[in-house]
Amino acid sequence: MSRTIQTARDDYLIAGFAALAITIHIAESALPSPLPGIKPGLANVVTLVVLCRYGWQMAAWVSLLRVLVGSVLIGTFLLPTFFLSAAGALASIVVLGLLFAVSRALPGWAVGPSGYGVAAALAHMSGQFWVAYTVFIPHSGLLTLYPLLMTLAAVLGIVSGLLTRTVLTRLNNAPPGGNPV
Amino acid sequence: MSRVKLSRGDAVVWLLAAILLVGLYMVFWQADGHGAEAVVLVNGKRWARLDLFQNQDLDVPGPLGHSYIQVRDGQVRFVDSPCPNKLCVHTGWLNQGGEVAICLPNKVSLQILASDPRFDTINF
Repeated sequence: MSRTIQTARDDYLIAGFAALAITIHIAESALPSPLPGIKPGLANVVTLVVLCRYGWQMAAWVSLLRVLVGSVLIGTFLLPTFFLSAAGALASIVVLGLLFAVSRALPGWAVGPSGYGVAAALAHMSGQFWVAYTVFIPHSGLLTLYPLLMTLAAVLGIVSGLLTRTVLTRLNNAPPGGNPV
Repeated sequence: MSRVKLSRGDAVVWLLAAILLVGLYMVFWQADGHGAEAVVLVNGKRWARLDLFQNQDLDVPGPLGHSYIQVRDGQVRFVDSPCPNKLCVHTGWLNQGGEVAICLPNKVSLQILASDPRFDTINF
């Protein structure tokens, strides 16, 4: 599948998925959040879908484009929010890359959407927390929040993993050449 | 939604995540350890400094009367105080660095000293 796609097609796919992720990212940023740093992470579902269908490289593109363009459109580019979100996205892309490589190397132990979802959420939270702690609020009191935030991230990661699975199933069952809406 | 099926790889990731979370709670939520000393303030002024490993009973005079404080084996508590709600008494034994018990009506407070207190300030 991903082997035979030519570069130009990849570019269209990246653009399309990134646009989808950016839309969700912006919609999500309008939602009120109970705790700073906690978001449902629905935009990440797009990254996971791309990862499972087209591989890590495209997923990385989609994820980083989303953070960059999303922040420009929301107006948080180069503000603290942007650095938090960028650190989270980078961390989660790196972890997803490791898991993806392991899945390639050991097919018997391949990780699926549920595993990717949890790992990505935990990595995202860690990256974002690390920047928050080292750059913005270097107070040891903040560390007390870390386990709690990670627990919430794990739960939200499971949810996004399950959503990813549902989306993948629908995509796989969709007729070739697009799904009439 | 269909039944949740985990592949072996997913199960490993979830297991690692669970271990990570438990580890995080153990590292970041551990108590600060026992304090060794406490201070008693009366009316905002230091009235006594207590060694928690030297058992003793104190009789602290405040505006309303006498508050009784007890030190036993590294812990300290209000035994009685002439206040209506006995919040200080119900606070119970203190042993962690930074813990406080306060009798507002009698203006007596008790705080365990710590190098790195768990709380900077507490507001009631």
